[in-house]
Amino acid sequence: MTTPLLQTRGLARAFGPVIALRSVDLTVAPGQVHALLGANGAGKSTVVKILTGVLRADAGSIAVHGEEVTLSRPADAQARGLAPVFQDPAMAPDLTVVQNLRLTGVDVAEVHRVLADMDLDGLDLTEQVRDVPLPFLRMLDLARALARDPQLLLLDEITAALPPDLSERVFGLMRRWKEQNRSVLFISHRLAEVREHCDMCTVLRDGRDVDSFVPAQGGEAQIVSTMLGEAAAGVREEARGRAREGSRPVVLEARNLAAGRNLRDVSFTVAAGEVLGLVALEGQGQDLLFDVLSGNRHSDSGELVIEGRAVRADHPFDVIRHGVVLVPSDRLQALLPQRSVRENIAAPLFNRVARWGPINGREERRRVHDAVSRLSIDTRAGSQVRRLSGGNQQKVTIARWLAPGLRVMLLFDPTRGIDVGTKHQVYDLIRSLADDGAAILMFTSELREVALVCDRAAVLHNGTIVAELPPDAGESALLRAAHGLETVG
Amino acid sequence: MTSPTASVHRVATSIPEPTGGLQRFLHRQAWTTGVAVLMVLLVLWRTSQVPHFGDFEIRTITAGAMSLAFLAMAQALVVISGGIDLSVGAMLVFTNCLSALWMDGKGLGECIGIAVAVVAIAIAMSSLIGVIITVSGVPDIIVTLAASFTISGLALVVLKSPGGGASLDFQKLVAGGLNDYWPSLLWTVGTLALVWLPLRRTRLGLAIYAVGSNRGASFLAGVNVARTRVLAYSLGGLFAGLAGIITTAYTGGGEPRASIGANATLNSVAAVVLGGVALTGGVGGLAGPVMAAVCLSLIPAIMLGRGWDPSYAETWRGVIIIAVVLVGGLVQTRRRAT
Repeated sequence: MTTPLLQTRGLARAFGPVIALRSVDLTVAPGQVHALLGANGAGKSTVVKILTGVLRADAGSIAVHGEEVTLSRPADAQARGLAPVFQDPAMAPDLTVVQNLRLTGVDVAEVHRVLADMDLDGLDLTEQVRDVPLPFLRMLDLARALARDPQLLLLDEITAALPPDLSERVFGLMRRWKEQNRSVLFISHRLAEVREHCDMCTVLRDGRDVDSFVPAQGGEAQIVSTMLGEAAAGVREEARGRAREGSRPVVLEARNLAAGRNLRDVSFTVAAGEVLGLVALEGQGQDLLFDVLSGNRHSDSGELVIEGRAVRADHPFDVIRHGVVLVPSDRLQALLPQRSVRENIAAPLFNRVARWGPINGREERRRVHDAVSRLSIDTRAGSQVRRLSGGNQQKVTIARWLAPGLRVMLLFDPTRGIDVGTKHQVYDLIRSLADDGAAILMFTSELREVALVCDRAAVLHNGTIVAELPPDAGESALLRAAHGLETVG
Repeated sequence: MTSPTASVHRVATSIPEPTGGLQRFLHRQAWTTGVAVLMVLLVLWRTSQVPHFGDFEIRTITAGAMSLAFLAMAQALVVISGGIDLSVGAMLVFTNCLSALWMDGKGLGECIGIAVAVVAIAIAMSSLIGVIITVSGVPDIIVTLAASFTISGLALVVLKSPGGGASLDFQKLVAGGLNDYWPSLLWTVGTLALVWLPLRRTRLGLAIYAVGSNRGASFLAGVNVARTRVLAYSLGGLFAGLAGIITTAYTGGGEPRASIGANATLNSVAAVVLGGVALTGGVGGLAGPVMAAVCLSLIPAIMLGRGWDPSYAETWRGVIIIAVVLVGGLVQTRRRAT
């Protein structure tokens, strides 16, 4: 048997208390297109960062052609023949493309040759990077990586921002690359691409490699079930969400919303008392959708209808006025971390309680007290919100909207980084808000939350809603839909 | 609802049209061009004020603006790399005092040697500041502010009160005689043409822009970010040290007052902003700040010529900076929007 081109043993990495990688063994043979797969949070991007010298592993070893290597900087990885193409093009926006190439010592003529190979020799390389459209930047980034004549090409979600014809050119290139006995480590959420173009795949789950197999033989079904593991077959907790009977008034409606590159055409409705779960893989347009819904960004087209009235939002205040509030994923971004629980909860009230004069202390205290007792927030560390646990912080972000009153709550991955016990308190809280008549849209990266909390699930893929499923549809159906595959009835 | 995959397969992606030559020049050099126009207008205004505009008047402008021009180059380099150096003014005062102390009573040859040594000290000190910033992770603005106090103190240690001197030949070599504008003009333009333009094309020059433009992307591309930032400070030290030597040559002595340094730092930031260098890094050059320095030093002279109270000179500088940056910002946002 030949020496593997790349072999990792027991790669591990923790970020503070969060363990991203427990132990990953990965073997890529020469001349192989190898897919690295896993659900959100399985550890793919951490592996890529370690292999490219962006992060250092806490434990484990990396061998290239059988020789153990230490990668402490991206330049080290490049010197070892590992050439990455990152999700965000690694180019300085204020320089021209040519300057960016010279900066890293890449032979410009070689890049021209590679581009000609991909039928892209018409690209003007003296253009400033900020003026080049994103898909072409990724192609240029790829050409730069290839021009270094690497042994292993690491492609992190390269097709995510590419139109199909450019993707095809990438695949053609991968085939030719393989014939020269070079290898590719291919990371993609698009399982069809993996099945068609990869010789081997390794699936990660919870920071471990769980299985390696030939994707064309196992098919997408095996990939999905390996990615989910026991979770799919395992214990099912009591589902709280249920499809509601009868008709309730629609509170929030999106009509053909489109914005930027990633949000093409999204329509849905959320009724009073309903929790709509939104499921999507990374980068399918959910960030843009929440930006548009929360008034943080204009939509390019389409309408946002709140309680039957089309709302043109120039500013988050415009939707908050209509009772639409956002709980973002980064809690510390929403809160005032150095200030007390009381001030945090009262902050959205300032434009009501205060009017023009000084803030009415008694009124403020009363409303804050109501919210705190209702959510059973542990306020012992209440003098500074940043000292609270993640779960209590999340409760405060939700609580601050209770006092001024709300009609629609937009939750973006509300339980990210929260321990299991508090997660359930947050679920209870979301349900009780809905029972009080709020319309709730919740994006979640944990598929099990759909069954636990939601009344309906909408699946966002490639900037549009591709499926609407009942909460008990099951995780594999959700995951298949999220990968853009046909849902089986 | 449309079918899931319908919209995806329509488009054959076409290669974007390259932008044309003139459009691209305006796109990239608009600000520098604007500052050049402003400078020419101010110079013309100044010429119209004096009955005879001759060599003496030209030399007053070129040599008078020279030290601020070099200080603006120092600041511009650091700002382009994504930092800011609040110690450049103190560095100017320190190198001014040190060179005035050492050059006092010496001949031309010795003075040149001393100038080289003093500039080397400035480079070493600024490099140390850069190392402290990159190693400690403390923001640039805090480290350089603290350094400015330390360096101002050192200047007072070196030279207790105004004094020192330099050989007359050396003064003429750097700042020119009273009617000789060539040395000051050549030193400034020569530095831009022979040091900056070639440097800008090297890997280091590109790396300074890249690191200021997007530090994360530069790191991922394999640029040694820490080394680049330190070298930007080293180069800043080079130009700040030269500015101190120029001050010695222009004034013929050393002046250790700390307020001069603080004022010079603020003027350097003003020149950089007026000269089209974005404080966020990665954008601009050195020619713009140099011309902006000329504009800034012309304002008091013009006011004096108009018979206005020159006490208002600072006020007018402020107004001009705000007006130029406002107009420039509006032009740029409009360009982005189209």
